[in-house]
Amino acid sequence: MANSLSTLSVLLVQVLVGVSVLLGLTSLVVVGPTRLQTLRQEKRARLREALPYLGLLVAVLIVNKVVRDIIPEISWLIGLNVTSYIFAIEGATVSDIQSVATPELTAYFSFVYIFGYVFLLVFPFIAYLSLRDLKPLKRTALAYALNYSLGLVFYTLFISYGPRNLIPDLVDPLLYSTYPQTQILTSKVNTNTNVFPSLHTSLSVTAAALAWQTRKVYPYWLAIASVFAVSISLATMYLGIHWAIDVVVGAGLGLFCVGVASWYVDRL
Amino acid sequence: MTHDDDTPSRLTRRAVLATLGVGATSGCIRSIQSTAGRDTADQLALSVKTLPADADPRATRIARFLVTNLNQVGIDAKVVPMSREELFRDVLLNQSFDVYVAQHPGSHDPDFLRPLTHSAFDVEIGWSNPFGYADLELDDLLDRQTRVTSDRRDKTLDTIQQKLVRNQPFSTVCFPETIRSTRDGRFVGRDDLPVHSVPWYLSLTEQATGEAVDTDSSTVNTQTPSANTTAVETTTAETPDESEPTVFQMTLSDSRPTENLNPLAVEFRCPDSVTSLLYDAPARYVDGDVVPWLAESIELVTEGDGNELVGYLRLREDLTWHDGTSLTAEDVAFTFAFLQDTSFGSSSTPVPSPRFRELTSLVDSAEATSDREVRLEFGRVSEPVAERVFTVPVLPEHIWTNQTGRAMGSSLNTDSNVTKALVWNNPNPVGSGPFEFVSSTVKQSVVLEPFEDHFLAGGSVDGRAGEFHVPTFDQLVFKLVPSSGAAVELLQRGEADATASPLLPEEVSTIGQDDSLALHVAESNQFYHVGYNVRRAPLSNPRFRRAIAGLVDKGHLVDDVFRGYASPASSPLGSDGDAVPPALHWDQTDPELPFHGSNGELDVDAAREVFRDLGYRYTEDGRLLSG
Repeated sequence: MANSLSTLSVLLVQVLVGVSVLLGLTSLVVVGPTRLQTLRQEKRARLREALPYLGLLVAVLIVNKVVRDIIPEISWLIGLNVTSYIFAIEGATVSDIQSVATPELTAYFSFVYIFGYVFLLVFPFIAYLSLRDLKPLKRTALAYALNYSLGLVFYTLFISYGPRNLIPDLVDPLLYSTYPQTQILTSKVNTNTNVFPSLHTSLSVTAAALAWQTRKVYPYWLAIASVFAVSISLATMYLGIHWAIDVVVGAGLGLFCVGVASWYVDRL
Repeated sequence: MTHDDDTPSRLTRRAVLATLGVGATSGCIRSIQSTAGRDTADQLALSVKTLPADADPRATRIARFLVTNLNQVGIDAKVVPMSREELFRDVLLNQSFDVYVAQHPGSHDPDFLRPLTHSAFDVEIGWSNPFGYADLELDDLLDRQTRVTSDRRDKTLDTIQQKLVRNQPFSTVCFPETIRSTRDGRFVGRDDLPVHSVPWYLSLTEQATGEAVDTDSSTVNTQTPSANTTAVETTTAETPDESEPTVFQMTLSDSRPTENLNPLAVEFRCPDSVTSLLYDAPARYVDGDVVPWLAESIELVTEGDGNELVGYLRLREDLTWHDGTSLTAEDVAFTFAFLQDTSFGSSSTPVPSPRFRELTSLVDSAEATSDREVRLEFGRVSEPVAERVFTVPVLPEHIWTNQTGRAMGSSLNTDSNVTKALVWNNPNPVGSGPFEFVSSTVKQSVVLEPFEDHFLAGGSVDGRAGEFHVPTFDQLVFKLVPSSGAAVELLQRGEADATASPLLPEEVSTIGQDDSLALHVAESNQFYHVGYNVRRAPLSNPRFRRAIAGLVDKGHLVDDVFRGYASPASSPLGSDGDAVPPALHWDQTDPELPFHGSNGELDVDAAREVFRDLGYRYTEDGRLLSG
């Protein structure tokens, strides 16, 4: 059934190519040819040194993948369905954000939500592996691992559907109504009961906060990461996927994870 | 009610005072008692459980409409979205809800109202009186309509509808039309049959090549026709890779069949889809008629002094199960006994299968009189009501006898005896249907293949079943799609042949613009309704339920949410037509409980007045008090 995969594979290839181009260009401008040259030589040694941190991140991602299908079932047994409480607190905020919708904005936010997000999360590894001081790289791996782990705890304890699922009368599922095929991709990664908090936001904020820490070395990256982090956080709401509360708590979670990771790495 | 089981109960004033020890030390005990002895009235709170928009935006929007208007009249209401199986678990098994919005699975006969609203079914699970409604007069009428025929049955059903509409154990909202689409391809089904119905699958015929025009060049399917071949037999020659199986792909937006294929698991089977392809029945519905299927003949006769109805069923020759065991009259007799008590006598009280309860509750006994013959006793039941009983899927005795034990660790919170049979995932289903199970991947796909030993695979078959055949493709794949829009997308790209799950009206224009896609719109008896848990005050009060029903603008919802692809209705038997008494025919507005307002806009003052007239009080800031 080669044909049954094609829509998904076409999308995956698009994301892969798109993100690679972004990564290549940004690496040249932000990191610079000199650092990339030394990276080529010292790659192995640096990877070896950061191995415990990178290994932890990989382990967390594997666990995440394995339990992803079980979590919703546990959640329905022990978790609290907070969807209606979130709506009671924030009301139609997301609908207000959507009131400015234009086809161009939808295209932009859809782009940053899918391509920009992957780019923002992957680039720090290239940038920080290119530095002699590996602390930023270790912080990044640890902070990501914490985000995913704490996210899993939240998702087990809380069942929450996003605005497009609770208030379809007020909120348009803009990403999926404009590009239905994208849902084939995102539904492989996300479960629709796991919106509290927004991991898109927390990981984007994490990347931006790490960029702030390395602003002296990579001033341009701070600018780029900030623009992407803000755009992605807005995109989650604009596209009707997350509530404002998910974004606020997500941002808090991201900052918390960077704080903990920095404390741990810098204490050594 | 001031709280429900989803939220921790708030402390009442009485509890607080008791904890503080007020009264015990006070001199004016009596005066404190008389005020503290009453719980202060809280704002009335209701939760409305329904599906999230990903699963069914129409249910979500009906619930949202209702809740918005409940809030307007001062009730603290909220929508609680739940996945399909969790919603049905709460509503159909655990009775843990205030109000819900969902589709009824539908039925071919009005007799479905008997299990749905008869008080004797209150203690049972499934679509057996989930409301907890009890009206002894209604019970008598519901029993009566199974015995009497023609005019007398129609009259009884008229009275039943009037009673139900008056008392509103649930509010019928509308009957939707199901929208599906097929792609022009190598296999074409009969136009007069609903897409995704069992007869439709069995009408899929390989097209004479050249007729199937494939406009989409990106199609990677093997169905690309070449112009110089005309005969069906030559189609294999043009298939470049012989090892590549021909696959008929259906899109499915409901993940439940990928997780569970137990025909008895009620929370996974409403409505039923894939399992009816796997499990054959003595008779099947074709075009609304009961047509002998596994049975060669079915005879219903009245016997004895009491005019008791008896059914004689004779199976076709050489029937086999998917595992090669032969299907005998014993299996059929076993099925009826088993569905009535899935513990098969091992439990002190019978544990009936909640699915098919409407049908099995009509049967007194079933007995195999030979290898191919079964005798069923019905008691006093009319023929049209009884013949439906033969549409119950036959289960293989050698497999299901192992599932009679008590289920452990099931999430049914009843401490009653639930059997394994009712909660089993049935990962490797063995039926006798026209398709057999190959594999399934959770939340991805279910793969079936045509059953070569099926009686329709062998050649000429008498009767109406003979109009059908087992299709010639190698595999039937149900592929999970995240949404209705994604389903159409796959169809357009040639990655699917037809949609199994219904589509949303929003998709109609896309289908219309694509020459290679055909639109199929069929009427459906799976009505949307608002169900009330009448065990819980104030929903126990029919006047309160009627006041709530007046907050739903059915006509507006049909226009706005269903885009006209539905008929608003007052009666659970339809919008109008012969089955519905004229007084309950929909005519611009609801004949019994018109909406308090117009065009979806609630006249808040008028609606609040209705609640005031019922004796409810409001606080100064407009909250409706619970007592």
